[in-house]
Amino acid sequence: MGAYIVRRLLQAIPTVFGVALLTFLLFNAFGPDPVRTALGNHATTEAMASLRHQWGLDKPLALQFLDFLRQIATFDYGRSFVTGDDLGTQLKDGALVSLSVTLPPFVFGGIVNIAIALFIARHRDGVVDKAARALFIAAMSVSALVWVLALQYLLAFKLDWFPINGYEGGWSAVKYLGLPWLIQLLLLMGPDIRLYRALFLADMNADWVRTARAKGAGEGRVLLRHVLPNAWIPIITQNVTTIPFLILGSFLMERFFSIPGIGNLTIDALSRGDLPILKAVTVLGALALVAFNLVNDLLYAVADPRVRLQ
Amino acid sequence: MSMFRLPPALAHALAGVTLVAALAAPASAHAQEKSVLTVPRISQFETLDPARGFGQTETQVVQQVYSLLVSYSYLERPYKLEADLLEAMPTLSPDQLTLTFHLRRGVRFVDNPCFPGGKGREVTSDDVLYSLKRYADGNINTKSWFAMQGAVVGLDDYRAATVKAGPSADLTSRDVAGLRKVDAHTFTIRLTHPNALFLYALTMTPTSIVPHEAVQFYKERFALNPVGTGPFMATRQVDRKGVIRLVRNPDYYRSYPAVGEAGDAAKGLLKDAGKRLPLVDELEMPLIEELQPAALKFLHGDLDWRPMDRANFAKMVRRDPDGTFRLAPEFAGKFAIHAVPSLETDYLLVNMRDPVLGRNKLLRQALAAAFDAQAIVDVLWNGRGRRLNSLVPYDIPGNERETGAVARPHDLALARKLLAQAGYPDGKGLPPLTISFFQTHVAAHNEFDLLKAQLAAVGVQAKGVFMDQPTFTKAAENGNYQLASFGWEADYPDAEDFYQLLYGPNAPPASNWTGYANPAYDKAYETARFMANGPARLEQLRIMNALIAEDVPLIVLFDPLKFGITQAWVGNFKRNLLVQEHMYLSVDMARKRKGVQ
Repeated sequence: MGAYIVRRLLQAIPTVFGVALLTFLLFNAFGPDPVRTALGNHATTEAMASLRHQWGLDKPLALQFLDFLRQIATFDYGRSFVTGDDLGTQLKDGALVSLSVTLPPFVFGGIVNIAIALFIARHRDGVVDKAARALFIAAMSVSALVWVLALQYLLAFKLDWFPINGYEGGWSAVKYLGLPWLIQLLLLMGPDIRLYRALFLADMNADWVRTARAKGAGEGRVLLRHVLPNAWIPIITQNVTTIPFLILGSFLMERFFSIPGIGNLTIDALSRGDLPILKAVTVLGALALVAFNLVNDLLYAVADPRVRLQ
Repeated sequence: MSMFRLPPALAHALAGVTLVAALAAPASAHAQEKSVLTVPRISQFETLDPARGFGQTETQVVQQVYSLLVSYSYLERPYKLEADLLEAMPTLSPDQLTLTFHLRRGVRFVDNPCFPGGKGREVTSDDVLYSLKRYADGNINTKSWFAMQGAVVGLDDYRAATVKAGPSADLTSRDVAGLRKVDAHTFTIRLTHPNALFLYALTMTPTSIVPHEAVQFYKERFALNPVGTGPFMATRQVDRKGVIRLVRNPDYYRSYPAVGEAGDAAKGLLKDAGKRLPLVDELEMPLIEELQPAALKFLHGDLDWRPMDRANFAKMVRRDPDGTFRLAPEFAGKFAIHAVPSLETDYLLVNMRDPVLGRNKLLRQALAAAFDAQAIVDVLWNGRGRRLNSLVPYDIPGNERETGAVARPHDLALARKLLAQAGYPDGKGLPPLTISFFQTHVAAHNEFDLLKAQLAAVGVQAKGVFMDQPTFTKAAENGNYQLASFGWEADYPDAEDFYQLLYGPNAPPASNWTGYANPAYDKAYETARFMANGPARLEQLRIMNALIAEDVPLIVLFDPLKFGITQAWVGNFKRNLLVQEHMYLSVDMARKRKGVQ
């Protein structure tokens, strides 16, 4: 397994290099000029040249790219153009906040959604199954933005169950996170339960399930011991590859609830042309995807003893 | 104000963690005895180091914690300069080159660990000269140097020296010929030429007075640890995100004004005259970047005032036939609206480098006659603006009431006639004109539809090009447009800030995006540029107005009104676009606790 991990990590190098090159070229070719964005109406040739020099943007592009590669290799992304803050601290703090927004509904929702999917799969084509399918399709047809706006209005403003928006560090954050968690739970339900239901149904008529039933196993045992374990691999794939996006945060939630996570940081960086943040978030996102794909493969071997990593 | 009352079903679902919040929130809501003003920030500030920042979000916070030498009157209009950290406005020498300033005595920096023993000390001339040199440092100030560039003897050389020395060098002990300390409370500034605009530079937050101890003590963290003499002070490091909480500076030196404009007394705006500022104990500034949560928080009573956005304007405000605005019945009594002329002019840029428009003056004149600015105000802006006849907004000296400017009237017959003379009778032979917009949302499309219809009335076809702001900026700077919808907001309340938009040498990246270059215009601009307001200056403004009307390098449209909305428990609110209102506002906490009724 050690050799497998090393080989996968080595394979990640050209992937990350490609992402870095693409990111660099895209930002330079199509992105806004960060110096112009920063100076706005008061740009003069002298001021622009001065700021360009200060930010190292007057170096040849090849040198700038080499700097970028060095930053990737050392995980030292320098400082934000706009605030001058150390990006390592900003990204770490932002990632923790983003995880506090996305992880609880991800974990809680994962467990609940698997349970609900098992339940409705067991009652396939019954009233519960039909009603659930209709409900989830209807819910998924409504955009996430509408859910955010509607639930913020209804649950926070009209019913006063939650603060409308805001954030504080530490345990005080919990009171502000209740509504974002609830909205994410609702948003996850439709796609997750439909996927899990389909996975469970595919196994429910399998030979080994029929055999288990023939041997007299109860329906609960059949579902938990024979159906669920066989669906683990696609469930792991779906969930583990989602984890990098949890770290990158939920743009909508963070924006509408004023939560200072990576999502909000990225939107601000986009609007201000803060290239160091954008480059860091893009490359770290790519690295996280590579890493969690590896974790995904490793977990396959844990979930299914037949899988051999070579 | 926000209560966290979780229903039983949800309480079970979200388990114990939410219980912590349920217990915590009501306690904090009712234990509050101090008067607290809560106003939103709409975006993150970059830095609270005054010399480094220069944006609206920075200004909103910096004005609360630092002081300037000169500021604007809160109540008087047109906007008027007044002494802030000074005992009186500076005096000007007979040669109009030397300004003498006398600092107020006894003004102290707030207590802070950066001072020996943590006790703030008195502000002196040394602090002012130190702050002005920091402002001029090319490694520190990359954004607002334009305001003092070339204005003070020796200061440009000082800036060049700082750039050469690099960011780690501190040259503030170096002598600058134009900055002289006379005594601990008196100093002079020597100008390079007579310059009536110079004092405006001292109203900009980057010239705020900072103590060297704080800069040296906090180093990079000075951006988040303001130490000033302003009406409020930070008791701990300020967070860019979340809520900024500032407390009253007990030693703040200014009082509520006793003079306003006509009608202010009747509105109750002078009842607190002479009271020590600020009028509230604490100032909270939560960061809320999206419109819906900000609007909901205001309606819920969590915010005391906010600017009114277009969507909420349509829902909450009615316009009477006489043009006045009032709140819709369901909101009247709960809130108060405040409308003021902005310091902004909206116009259409005409690209003078364009082969079709740039070489055909008659065509540009025809377009100016075809566009109907009043219809734009009425249809697109629900009447929230006033048609302009010159580049200068209404509340700025040099406006059309003073110059007597008259724009080319909206006249379709005249437009058709000019169009024919331009070689395009009824628009025949004229390719569709492109109109560029720096936004992509529906409002820009609505604006285009109206402009297109106005052009179609004289036979001219139009195409819309919708871009984000950076793309638009690139296109405009490079001359890749024909007509473009744009506007300019005053950096300081002077006509010069608007006429410089057409000054030939201000080619991109500076602000003349039209490519207009007319020696007669440039000469009038250079003559008027640094003059004090008065008949001689107005004469130069009239020359420029006439040239704009004749050459049509841009088509002036209107001055939008700015709207704000306050809770009924907020007193003394008068919208001021140049100074933050916060320290002048009072809050009736008994009413505030009852919430929106």
